[in-house]
Amino acid sequence: MTDTSSTLTLTAIRKTFGPLTAVDSLDLSVEPGALVSLLGPSGCGKTTTLRMVAGFDSPDSGQITIGGDDMTRLPPNKRGLGMVFQSYSLFPHRTVGENIAFGLRMSGASKQVQADEVKRMLDMVHLSGREDMYPAQLSGGQQQRVALARALVVNPRVLLLDEPLGALDKGLRESMQFEIREMQQRLGITALLVTHDQEEAMSMSDQIAVMHGGRILQLGAPNDIYDRPETAFVATFLGNANLFDGRVQDGLLMTDAGALSLPARPAGDTATLSVRPERVVLGEDAAALPQGLRGRITAASFRGAYAAYHVTLDGSGTEIIAYRQADTALGQTSLGVGAEVAVGWPVEHGVLVTGPAPKE
Amino acid sequence: MTPTVNLSPGARRALLLAPALIFLAVFFVMPLVDNSARSFIGEGGFTLSRYTDFLTDSFYLGVIAETVILSAAVTLISVLIAYPVAYVLVRKAGRFSGLMIFFLIAPLLTSIIMRTFGWQVLFARRGLVNQWLVTDLGLLDAPLRWLNTPGLAIAALVHVLVPFAVLSIASVLQGVDRRLEEGALMLGASRIRTFFEVTLPLTVDGIGTGAILVFMIANGSFVTLVLLGGGFQTLPLLIYQQFNTTRDFALASTMSTILLVIALACLWLQLRLLRRQGV
Repeated sequence: MTDTSSTLTLTAIRKTFGPLTAVDSLDLSVEPGALVSLLGPSGCGKTTTLRMVAGFDSPDSGQITIGGDDMTRLPPNKRGLGMVFQSYSLFPHRTVGENIAFGLRMSGASKQVQADEVKRMLDMVHLSGREDMYPAQLSGGQQQRVALARALVVNPRVLLLDEPLGALDKGLRESMQFEIREMQQRLGITALLVTHDQEEAMSMSDQIAVMHGGRILQLGAPNDIYDRPETAFVATFLGNANLFDGRVQDGLLMTDAGALSLPARPAGDTATLSVRPERVVLGEDAAALPQGLRGRITAASFRGAYAAYHVTLDGSGTEIIAYRQADTALGQTSLGVGAEVAVGWPVEHGVLVTGPAPKE
Repeated sequence: MTPTVNLSPGARRALLLAPALIFLAVFFVMPLVDNSARSFIGEGGFTLSRYTDFLTDSFYLGVIAETVILSAAVTLISVLIAYPVAYVLVRKAGRFSGLMIFFLIAPLLTSIIMRTFGWQVLFARRGLVNQWLVTDLGLLDAPLRWLNTPGLAIAALVHVLVPFAVLSIASVLQGVDRRLEEGALMLGASRIRTFFEVTLPLTVDGIGTGAILVFMIANGSFVTLVLLGGGFQTLPLLIYQQFNTTRDFALASTMSTILLVIALACLWLQLRLLRRQGV
C-alpha cells in the first residue's frame, strides 16, 4: 500500500522569529507509512516545524519535499495534507457530516460521493449515525475521532498530528493512542506527530525525534532512544534517569558518589553516566555489584505496578531514584523509609551520555 | 470608632442601587410614560384614534418608510465598511491595534453637533473641499453643491456610526479560533473560500449586533439631518417640527411612541441574538 510518493523530507530547515531562532538546520526524513514524532518541551521548535510542513509558516531557508515534490513555498491548501489539531478545530456551525465532507466538497466531489465517504469514515471511527449532530453535542474523544475522519477522508499524502490528544483525560488518551496508531498503520499513511508527552511519543511512533533548542538531538526508534540516550537531556526528558558527572581515571568514573565502573571507554577525560531508575538494584542483590554503594531510603512511593524509592547515598549524600517491581506479597512493599540498603546496577545497564545534567 | 449599622445583604443592595434607580425613574421613565400617555389621552379620555389616524395616513406611512429605508441604507454601508476595518484591526494590526481603536473611538468623544458642523465647514459652497477641487487642483470649473444632498447626509451618518459596527464585529471576530481557518485551508479551501465558509458564518452574530445598533441609532438620528439636510423627511425630524413649529404635542407624542416601539423591537432582536450566542 505504501510507495515513495509520500516520503516527507525536511532539508536544512531554518526559521527565525526576530532575534529568536525557532528551528535551526533541521534535517528529517519520514518514510512512507511511518509515524515519526517530534518530541520536546515547549519552545523546542516542534510546533514551528509542523507548521512549516503544513504551510502556515515558511522557512527562512531549507527545503520541504513530499514524494520528491517541492512543497516549501506552496500554500497549505495546495499541499494535499491532513491535519488534526489539539483543539479539534471542528467547524462549530456545521454538522459532523458536513465537517467530514468539507475537504471532499472543496475538491468538487459529488453529493453522492460525499455522503458515501462520510458514512464510510464514520463507520471507521465508530461514530455511525452521528452525521447530523453538531460538534458541541459530542464528547472530547468523539470530537477528536471526527477530526481524524475529516483529515483522513481526503486521502492526504501526509497526516499531521498537532498534540492531538492533549485535551483528553488520561484514560481516553491511552485508548485513542492505540486507535490512531492502529488506523495509521492499517491505512499505511505517512504521519508526523508533535507532542510533549513522552509516553504518547513512545507508544505511537516508529521513530522519535527528540528536539531541543530548535534542533533534533536524537532520532531513533522509541526503545533505542530510551535505552541508548546520547545526551543527558534526552536521558532525562524521556523517562527518568540518575546522572553521574565525573572525571575518567583508570577506566573508572570519579564522581561525588564514588568511583563507578564504566560500560564503555569515554571519548574525553570527563563523562556523564546515565542509569535508569528501573535498572538500579537495591538490597541484598546489589551487594555483589561493582559499585559497592550504600544508602538510606528517604522516601518511598507506591505506584501500583512498581514502587519508587529515593535513596540518599552514604558519604556523598547523592540522591538516587530507583524503581522496584512488586515481588512481595500483595499489599506489602518490601522496603520501608529509613532502611539501609546496598545500591548498585549491572555495569552494562549504565549509558554514557554527553552534556551536563540539565538543571531542573 | 465610627458606629456601624448592620444591614441585611438585601437591604444593602437596595440602598446601593437606590440613587441610580431614582435617577432613572425621574429623568427617564417618568418623561417617557408622560410622553406616551399624552398620545393616548383625547378629549373624551383614553383614545387610540391618533394611532389609527397616523397609521392609515399615506403621508405618515411614507415618513416611517423613509426613516426605515434611510436607516437600512446607512446600516448596510456601515457594515460593509466596518467589516474590513474590524478584520484588519483583529488580524493584521498587531501592536498597532490599540492605536487603531483609539482612532476609532476618538471621534465619539467629540459632540455629534461639532462633528456635523465639521462636515458643513468642509463641504460648504466655499468650503475646503470645493476649494481643493476648483482652485487648488483645478478638477472642476465651478464649486459643487454638497450640502442638502442625500449622499452627504448618508455619508455623515455612516461616519458617526461605523465605529459601533467595527467594535461589535471585532469583538466577535476576536473570538474566532484561527485554527478553524487553518483547518479549512488544510482541507483544500482557498483563503477566499475559507473566509466565506468559516470566518463569515462565525461572525454573523457580530454583524447582527453591529447592524441592529447602527440601525437603532440611525433611526433616531436628528442632528445630522437637521444640519446637513439631504431632503429626508424622517420621524425624528417630523417630531421636532410638531413640537416646535406646529406645536401639536399629541401628534408628536404619538410619533415618538412609534419610534420608541421600533427601537424596542430592535432591542428585542438584539437580545435574541445575544442569547443565541450565549448557548
